[in-house]
Amino acid sequence: MLTGNLAAADRAPSSSLEETLLTRYAGFAGWLRANDFRVTTSDIAASMEVAQRTGQTDIQLLRWSLRAVLCSRAEEWRRFDALFDAYFLRPNRRVLVETRAAGAGPIERDSVGGQRDASEGMPLSLAGRGGDPTHVEGSATDQGASGEASLAHADFSHLNEPDELFAIDDAIRRFAQRLRGIQIRRERRANTGRVIDMAWTIRRSVSRGGLPLDLGWRRKRRLRPRIVLLLDVSRSMSLYSFFYLRLARVLSARVSDVHCFIFHTRLVGVAQALRDPDPRRSQERLHMLSAGWAGGTRIGDSLDEFIQQHATRLLHSRTAVVIVSDGYDAGEPEYLQQALATIRRRCRRLVWLNPLADRADFTPASVGMQAAMPYIDLLAGARDLASLEHVLPQVLSTLQ
Amino acid sequence: MATDRMNDVVSLQQRLEGHGFIAERSFAATLMLTMEMRRPLLLEGEAGVGKTEVAKALSRLLDTRLIRLQCYEGLDAHSALYEWNYQHQLLAIKLLEQDQRSILDKEQDIFSERYLLKRPLLEAITTTPAPVLLIDEIDRTDEAFEAYLLELLSDFQMSIPELGVIRATERPFVILTSNGTRDLSDALRRRCLYQYIDYPGFEKELLIVRTQVPEVPEKLARQMVEFVQSVRQMDLQKKPGLAETLDWVSALLRLGVSVIDTDGIEQIMDSLSALVKTREDQAGLTRPVVEKLVAAC
Repeated sequence: MLTGNLAAADRAPSSSLEETLLTRYAGFAGWLRANDFRVTTSDIAASMEVAQRTGQTDIQLLRWSLRAVLCSRAEEWRRFDALFDAYFLRPNRRVLVETRAAGAGPIERDSVGGQRDASEGMPLSLAGRGGDPTHVEGSATDQGASGEASLAHADFSHLNEPDELFAIDDAIRRFAQRLRGIQIRRERRANTGRVIDMAWTIRRSVSRGGLPLDLGWRRKRRLRPRIVLLLDVSRSMSLYSFFYLRLARVLSARVSDVHCFIFHTRLVGVAQALRDPDPRRSQERLHMLSAGWAGGTRIGDSLDEFIQQHATRLLHSRTAVVIVSDGYDAGEPEYLQQALATIRRRCRRLVWLNPLADRADFTPASVGMQAAMPYIDLLAGARDLASLEHVLPQVLSTLQ
Repeated sequence: MATDRMNDVVSLQQRLEGHGFIAERSFAATLMLTMEMRRPLLLEGEAGVGKTEVAKALSRLLDTRLIRLQCYEGLDAHSALYEWNYQHQLLAIKLLEQDQRSILDKEQDIFSERYLLKRPLLEAITTTPAPVLLIDEIDRTDEAFEAYLLELLSDFQMSIPELGVIRATERPFVILTSNGTRDLSDALRRRCLYQYIDYPGFEKELLIVRTQVPEVPEKLARQMVEFVQSVRQMDLQKKPGLAETLDWVSALLRLGVSVIDTDGIEQIMDSLSALVKTREDQAGLTRPVVEKLVAAC
């Protein structure tokens, strides 16, 4: 039954069995790839081998075996059965492929995998900014002292000149360089240090006939903390979220192990979009991710979503969580409180950057901020470049 | 032909059951493929669903050694692959000073397998018959070590500068487990077969309880499994895994509980510490909640 279906669906021109098989399994691999599976050429060969081993008449066996070969993560595992059915059981494969090609996206979208292809969301402030902020990439600038001074106290809300953007990038790069990391207990071998590594010293002395002329040392290792950025992109933050996205982009390009999410009424991972080497396409993808969100900010719910879906993977004893938000929360404050308590317990440091915090008359009076205060290690404001420079040492010392 | 294959899978499933391991048919099919192709098998799933148990059962089934490498942060090549026994080597150098042999011979002697301390990975590829190699909680190591593993997992060979390349005499059966605290690299995933293990369903869990704790009365077993299944539906920080269920079973047996009903609620409340293991979760399982769950059993 299976074979008949496929023969009809594929209409492979070749007569030989070998080629029919190849067409079938290469087609299946392509079908999975179109649905965001990470399938490689060697997987096609492996799946043919599997098919020959298990035979192709028992559909269940074939399904289980192919699943073991072609899936490589839990999220793929959950979607596999539906995709397998769609390819092998029904003769409407072509229709599905066409829908996908027309831009409808994968047939079944897992919310866990939402960061890859999610197409729901709210326009970021980038949309309303008029000028194209990303065309500065690589543009030459000369920044005179006077330019720097006037820039230092401009709100980020007015920044869209290439020179000024360049200055921001520069500041963030310096920040990234100083982000050296926290000392961890595990030691490593080194040529200098304080503690002698006996095993290594003896090993080195073997070539000197047992005389320990070259000493081996142990030294504490430093590891950069993993950074999780949670950016509020709601309307009240629209003046600043552009800047923070820029920060996220530069940071994730310069430093490994940075994980970035944006939230408003829900939470979406934007790591892939930010890493896109083409700045225009990166911007395009961010637009796509956030198109169509509406309603007030629900920080608590968004953080809760983060805990449910990403916390086990991302939070450990060396994670620094940085939340960027003005704290205007339309949800229940208890929710926010609970979520923050959970995150705080599972990470190393919790930093809250509030663009409003620089203002002289600022008190953390909004309901959201009040709920958050007991759990955060550092509340700082970064409204403009000067205050960013001012805040960075604090953030650095908190992270280490 | 295919029905033969299905028969094989079913028989494997039964043999596993004989060794105290309950597996779905689909999992048996994957395991069969692992054994035939000798590709490493990557198991993912929540903590406590029996990932490590798979390797133990497999080694019992094949009647081979189980070599276990428990991963931790900072695990380096020296504690996973091999190390020279330096002290021993130095002693040998001193003894060889009086020896008349050429330096080349002496050197060969010092860097021979006699002075090599085998760590789990080297042990696994040099042991015959092929052992089961369990690389537990691979997600706890750092990326550097993961990269080191790649050579081993694709070619089953290892290079020791002083000795040359050591090839596996027989490919071991490799099982890797991960709890998902860190995303593994695609390169590693590509080299493995993959199986995601979910929390067991009612039937499976009941079967496991009965196999592992045969002395538990039938009715109690049913009730307890039902209770655990509904606890898992709740919004908990850490859902109870299989290990917790089994702990709870023995806790209840020790307390002399023979049936779960609202009269024995005190004892059940007392024993819940075997099932939920964070403060928040325990606070969530208040008396009225437990009463409701018990009444539903």
